[in-house]
Amino acid sequence: MEHSSLAGRIFRGVALTLILIFFMFPIVWIFLMSFQTNEQILRIPPRILFEPTFANYEALISGQLRTAAGNLQISFMRNLFNSVVLSSAAVLLALLLGVPAAYAFARFKFRLGESIAFTLLSFRFAPPLLVLLPLSLYYQELGLNDTYFGIVWVYQLIALPLILWIVRGYFEDISPDIEHAYRLAGHSWREAFTRIAVPLAGPGIAAAGLLSFIFCWNNFVFALILASADKQPVTVGALAFVTASGIQYGQIAAAIVLSVTPTLLLALYAQRYLVEGLSLGAVKG
Amino acid sequence: MSMVQLLQTNAQAAPAKPRPRVRLLPYLLSLPALLVCVAILVPFVTAAVYSLQRYRLNLPYLRGFIGAGNYIDFLSDPAFWNTFRISITYTAVTVVLELLLGLGIALLLRRPTRFHNAVSIMLLLPLMTAPAIAALMWKLMTNPSFGILSYLVGLFGVTDFKWASDPSSALFTVVLVDVWVYTPFIMILLLAGLRSLPRQPFEAAALDGVPASFVFFRITLPMLAPYIITASLFRLLDSIQQFDIIYAMTQGGPGDRLMVFQVQAYLEFFQYTNVGRSAALLMILWLITNILSNIFIKNWLQLRARAHGHA
Amino acid sequence: MARLEINSVSKAFGAARPADGLSLAVEPGEIVAVFGPSGSGKTVLLRMIAGMFEPDDGDILIGGRSVVGAPPERRGIGMAFQNFALFPHMTARDNIASGLRASGNEVARRVAAISKLLKIEHVLGHAPRELSNGQKQRTALARALIGNPDVLLLDDPLRNVDAKLRYEMRLELPNLLRRGTAAVLYVTQDYREAMAIADRIAVLIDGRLAQVATPADIYAQPASVAIARLFGDPTINLAEVSPVAEHGMLSAEVAGARMRLAAADGTASLGSCWLGVRPEDLAVSSASSDGAIPARILAITPMHEKAVLLLRLADGTEWLAALPPDAPQGAADDGVFVRFASDAAMLFDRATGLRIGASPRLKAA
Repeated sequence: MEHSSLAGRIFRGVALTLILIFFMFPIVWIFLMSFQTNEQILRIPPRILFEPTFANYEALISGQLRTAAGNLQISFMRNLFNSVVLSSAAVLLALLLGVPAAYAFARFKFRLGESIAFTLLSFRFAPPLLVLLPLSLYYQELGLNDTYFGIVWVYQLIALPLILWIVRGYFEDISPDIEHAYRLAGHSWREAFTRIAVPLAGPGIAAAGLLSFIFCWNNFVFALILASADKQPVTVGALAFVTASGIQYGQIAAAIVLSVTPTLLLALYAQRYLVEGLSLGAVKG
Repeated sequence: MSMVQLLQTNAQAAPAKPRPRVRLLPYLLSLPALLVCVAILVPFVTAAVYSLQRYRLNLPYLRGFIGAGNYIDFLSDPAFWNTFRISITYTAVTVVLELLLGLGIALLLRRPTRFHNAVSIMLLLPLMTAPAIAALMWKLMTNPSFGILSYLVGLFGVTDFKWASDPSSALFTVVLVDVWVYTPFIMILLLAGLRSLPRQPFEAAALDGVPASFVFFRITLPMLAPYIITASLFRLLDSIQQFDIIYAMTQGGPGDRLMVFQVQAYLEFFQYTNVGRSAALLMILWLITNILSNIFIKNWLQLRARAHGHA
Repeated sequence: MARLEINSVSKAFGAARPADGLSLAVEPGEIVAVFGPSGSGKTVLLRMIAGMFEPDDGDILIGGRSVVGAPPERRGIGMAFQNFALFPHMTARDNIASGLRASGNEVARRVAAISKLLKIEHVLGHAPRELSNGQKQRTALARALIGNPDVLLLDDPLRNVDAKLRYEMRLELPNLLRRGTAAVLYVTQDYREAMAIADRIAVLIDGRLAQVATPADIYAQPASVAIARLFGDPTINLAEVSPVAEHGMLSAEVAGARMRLAAADGTASLGSCWLGVRPEDLAVSSASSDGAIPARILAITPMHEKAVLLLRLADGTEWLAALPPDAPQGAADDGVFVRFASDAAMLFDRATGLRIGASPRLKAA
């Protein structure tokens, strides 16, 4: 493997190039498309070089869509705002609920704790609709349908198992003696938790939080079922937008770019922790 | 005074004071998480009950307990068997393709050079794209009139290729999107696994001049097996429940060509308002995923113990 | 000034009973070493005192007040851990000061004083990962000492430092620990460390205190054959004997030679016993004499401060003898004669392992 032949090196080069093209091309192409007018997009053959336009983004940001049938009000920016609100609130709530629980599961061996941890884990792999469809009926009765809180609550299904299992691993890696030492130095368990355990598990908490944010942002089916237009995040909103705008392809591309940019930037920022997060803490990067 | 006596006198001097102290703290700390658990379990049990009922939202007066009626109906329902077949096919094809491709890429990027690390980070971007949005991206690229992919296959003489809107190529198209999104998942797990393998067996094999194919099949693969199994089970579990990509791309169509479990259940619920049937469909899917996830969790716990250094 | 008192404390983890009716008192200013083989329950005892878990049964008192059920931070305990347990995200200075609730000036003054004493002034600004094991260990000690705790618990603090440093600390620690008035409980697996540092040694075997006594007494008058074997390097020599009483003296046959042991309490002969003789109490010579055991030298290990001989007695029993380095040693395979003074022999009941009678050595003295 270390001393590869010339043929081997050529093969690896070609293979890596093809792989990069396959995985990168869609992102690059949609990005380019978002700076093109509809006429440029529809041109055959397609061109790599073109006069870029910001019209698509301007239309999205102003909420005024010019279509062949006339002006259309579109609230894509509202979807973007919803995504930010829903994902941030869900992650904050999940950290608030999950970090103390992860600490309890790591430090105290108790049956209920293991049951909770494994129930949440096993429902991470259960069909989401199984829980969502009955929940939508309950939500209608409770008046939670189409509320931010209702959606944030179901996002716990995504964020909580992730935070619980990753942060639990970080807490388990801290020697209990370190906390004991702090308590013997005259501090309550609460102080030991906030000044010793949480700072030492800091990287894990940050990673789990960032990943939860990405997964909440990328979620589609929860809001599809539980939210109407003015509460929908970008994932659902973009689909509605495609239906509404019809053939405004440049604007669709711009909406896609706006939808994925936050998570892609976060992913690049947090890439060190992605392996651990994606495997729910089973593999360290 | 002998030690025995010493111990006895002391034992008499000290009155035994048993103080059973209930530790409330862990329960208090996990209370919120327990609430979330309940919030999951209640609808889950509700769904199980619905699956045993004749329950249609548009015909509420017909609602009643029919035992396994919904399940028995499935046995003779070609639509159910179509769903079953499509779901299994989709899952099998995506997981096998992603596993082979992911393993191949991981092997190519194995040496931790700066270039390889940069490539592996770039490959994460599809995985971090919302699958529903990824489906829209590919929809734009496969648009029959201007899509770049339609144009490219046209250069190879394939004209009028309809991608997802043609029953014969719809499965191929959504599988392509799934492979694009999820191959990096397998790749990144296996890459982490490969890089964590001990070096000695490989160095010994290199010294002995063992052929590369032998090293791969007899050393690399067996040592990587726990990672491969965990990653594959992870993907199996997600893939058999695929909804986002298929719904965003074709809503299960054309016709019922891509009517996988969750899309079918969604439509039963919202389009045909047949809650009982939708719930029964999801319970069957849950049964499948539950078996898989039990196997998965066992493997996953072993990997986790290894990652945290107490295996 | 507070006395530490442990009364009939028991603790079980499933089938294991790391503490089985332990009773021990440590006076203010006293250093008691808890010594025992690994797994004997030393750390469990310390952790119950520190409040990391509670005893199932029994009581722990500090200054006459029960601390069972009290949170660790209210027990007035300082503790140094085997793995140091320093706070990795704080500097050595902040680690040491973590237990002080005082004004900034006061904290600075006391940190300066204790770190001067422990010779770590120059590393106060460093993070734990930048410290050597010896510096970590001193920082941990400073952290445990700075609050002038009533009770000081040291959990094998020298376990993870190198041999030279361990030797230095053995000399330094007793003075350091006696500066205050804390009752000190010092856990160790090294009998030399226990003997060097402690006023008394509590020998813990299988969750029970087998003997609590001064180092000298434990060495000279071990309560049982098990304790006799834990102290001393090389370990004590044993032989199976059945002593008989005649003319007011006990004697026993060891590998074919009749050895006089000690004055008998009565005329009764004893049953089956272990005879124990410390290697340094053996004399080896090439000349036969009355009361000498014929033996053959199997190997000689020169250790500079002494020479250790592996001997095979006539009946096949293997004994070790530790001789002054300048004593004539002979060579491997030589036939020699082994003797020991009658007051150097200890007798242990074979069935119970307990030592029989008061120390002959003391009687002789």
